[in-house]
Amino acid sequence: MKEHDEKPLRDFLKQALPPIGETAPRRDLWPELLRRLEGPRAAVPWFDWVLAAVTLIWLLLFPEAIPVLAYHL
Amino acid sequence: MSAHPYLRAYMAGITIPTMLLLVLLTVFIFARHVYDVSTPLERIIAFPMAVAPNAWGLWNIFYVSRHGRRRLPIGFHGAILPFLIAPLAYTVCWLVDFEIPAPLLRVFPFAFPVFLVVFYLVWKHAVAFFNDLLGIS
Repeated sequence: MKEHDEKPLRDFLKQALPPIGETAPRRDLWPELLRRLEGPRAAVPWFDWVLAAVTLIWLLLFPEAIPVLAYHL
Repeated sequence: MSAHPYLRAYMAGITIPTMLLLVLLTVFIFARHVYDVSTPLERIIAFPMAVAPNAWGLWNIFYVSRHGRRRLPIGFHGAILPFLIAPLAYTVCWLVDFEIPAPLLRVFPFAFPVFLVVFYLVWKHAVAFFNDLLGIS
């Protein structure tokens, strides 16, 4: 396509898709995310540790279940 | 940080299965192209690649949409998901005519309760963490 052929198409596209104006967020979101990352975490209850350990041992005893589990995740 | 809560919920929901997908695809590529495993895994790989992450995202949207109303704790909410995913997974295998290896079929009834525990733990700790990080709960 020649340069002069492209101009009407370019104008048409500019007309159809007007500039969207301000695209940057009004404030920096990264510090807030960092604050959340560094914030206090809820302690993992002992019951969940036991569940995790039992699950891990079970998967080690029956490794054929691992691909089935991976397929569902 | 309260804009687009459902988009955030979707993103938080798909994070874990999407991260695990890298591991799964690596295993798949090694199995297929390095160890020449003859099982036609490519027929069913679409399920963990597309269906499972979207199911997680949608399930988390459902959880967030229940905010302010009666809802289960997030761990139990996540533990319900295998009841939806497992039949879907089996249906996909059946549709693409994939023969599930006998040892995997045998172990499934015993493995399913363990899956519930895994889903409970992952949702309670990982998905809840991402929800918290994105300012939704």
